[in-house]
Amino acid sequence: MIYSFWMYDRHCECIYSRDWHRSAAHEDKEDLQKLIYGSVFSLRNITRKLSDDDAFLSFQTSKYKLHFFESPSNLKLVLITDPMMSDACNALRQIYAGLYVEYVVKNPLSPIEHPRGTGVDNDLFNMGLDSFVRSLQGFA
Amino acid sequence: MSKVRSVGEEVWKHKTDKINSELLTLTYGSIVAQLVADFDHDYAKVNKQLDKMGYNIGLRLIEELLAKTGLPRCQNFRDTAEAVAKVGFKMFMNITPTISNWSVDSKQFSLVFTENPLAEFVELPDKPNARDLWYSNIYAGVIRGALEMVQLQVEAEFVSDAVQDPSLPTEIRVRLVKVLEDEIPPGED
Amino acid sequence: MADRTPIVHSSTVPGGVTQLRSASSQASLVESARKGAIYERSLQRKRGEVSESVMALVICEAVQYLQKQAKGIADLEDRLNRLGYHMGQRVLELITLREGKSAKRETKVLGILQFIHTMVWRTLFGRPADALERSTEDTNQYMIIDNDPLITRFISVPKDMAQLNCAAFAAGIIEAVLDASLFTAKVTAHTMGTPQTPDKTVYLVQFESLR
Repeated sequence: MIYSFWMYDRHCECIYSRDWHRSAAHEDKEDLQKLIYGSVFSLRNITRKLSDDDAFLSFQTSKYKLHFFESPSNLKLVLITDPMMSDACNALRQIYAGLYVEYVVKNPLSPIEHPRGTGVDNDLFNMGLDSFVRSLQGFA
Repeated sequence: MSKVRSVGEEVWKHKTDKINSELLTLTYGSIVAQLVADFDHDYAKVNKQLDKMGYNIGLRLIEELLAKTGLPRCQNFRDTAEAVAKVGFKMFMNITPTISNWSVDSKQFSLVFTENPLAEFVELPDKPNARDLWYSNIYAGVIRGALEMVQLQVEAEFVSDAVQDPSLPTEIRVRLVKVLEDEIPPGED
Repeated sequence: MADRTPIVHSSTVPGGVTQLRSASSQASLVESARKGAIYERSLQRKRGEVSESVMALVICEAVQYLQKQAKGIADLEDRLNRLGYHMGQRVLELITLREGKSAKRETKVLGILQFIHTMVWRTLFGRPADALERSTEDTNQYMIIDNDPLITRFISVPKDMAQLNCAAFAAGIIEAVLDASLFTAKVTAHTMGTPQTPDKTVYLVQFESLR
């Protein structure tokens, strides 16, 4: 089951998030958002220390699995699912290349820097992401 | 690094929506002319405005490049130069400038252009200070913006332009200022 | 756009950098063509292509720049129109130089309109416009019709400026070509989308009087 999707820019700002299924644990979204960033940031730094050219793809607990993709421009994409879900790193890459770059970056009116924390607000991206995530195996 | 070259060619051939270059040439020419008029021939200001526009464009073009090529972060500045010349300029402008004049510490190089679609059939005004205008300065901004996104702070500037003097090459000097650190969330340091 | 003043544009053309200089008569064109090897080299060169993304981003930066200067939507349209006007002058010179000896100044209304519809459009947008029509009510009125204007596709209109008509840019191009051929006309752009062609744009060319 897919719970939620999160996107962070190079300034550590959460620029997008979306829930599909509620994961009971967290009501405080802002808190969760920071915790997610903190954990992927640390994990990714550990992986880089251990091996120069490596990236972590996911980690899991008995209840959750967190999938991670980072572009060379430091955009970080996170998908939170149940632990049964197979690795979604490739799906995240597709979200970056096929949705974020196509609909947000290539639309000059959609800001890509969010100094006032406005975040990504783009109908095509919203719709594209929703239908893409719903099409993934193990969504429901 | 012929692999890099073929990446650029592949993307240009199969993954790029293209338009007639003259539409860009003429549009760009009109924009420069408008800036020259607005800034009343203060070419330093025109250069700066073109650089600023280029910077904004570079921030976006780099994402398209990364998305379409799947290239990883460059390991060193020499690889970066290759990627700028053979992938970036190739997939967006269909030209491949030559990389030359490396500094000893490998932190500076030049891009030398034998063709420049932006400056086709351009003639500079007769004003005596017209040589202060770097007509294609938008390139410098694009390079600066694009490399900043992959954590390379650079300075890019024209050193000569065939538009000003056909006996000189069109050359942009790119200098690595520093590799930017990851930003850290507020309150974490 | 409806209440725009008639066109006396020579003073509004930004000075300074020109492409091919702003010579509009045949004689001075020939002269400027002789001026330097740079023309021969670049004009004979087979036309190339560049990425559409670059075009879209360059136009967007230009619109944002103009928007900062403009005092409202009508003023912004006027500035876009002037940008197009400048471009129209250059494209005319480019085509004229390319055609070389076979180039002749169009003196008939239909001739110049066909030239715009076919040559100008093809040079800039890679294909002729979709139609050229004469108004049935007013014989001094013509329409150049583009079902899917390339240029407006590149100009994304911010939500708070929904009524901005970006085709003012292309209207400026048409005006410049007419002016250079000594026809005085007012060109306005009207979006007339249909279900099949949502961006269909009609450029209304209103001549003052026809010879």
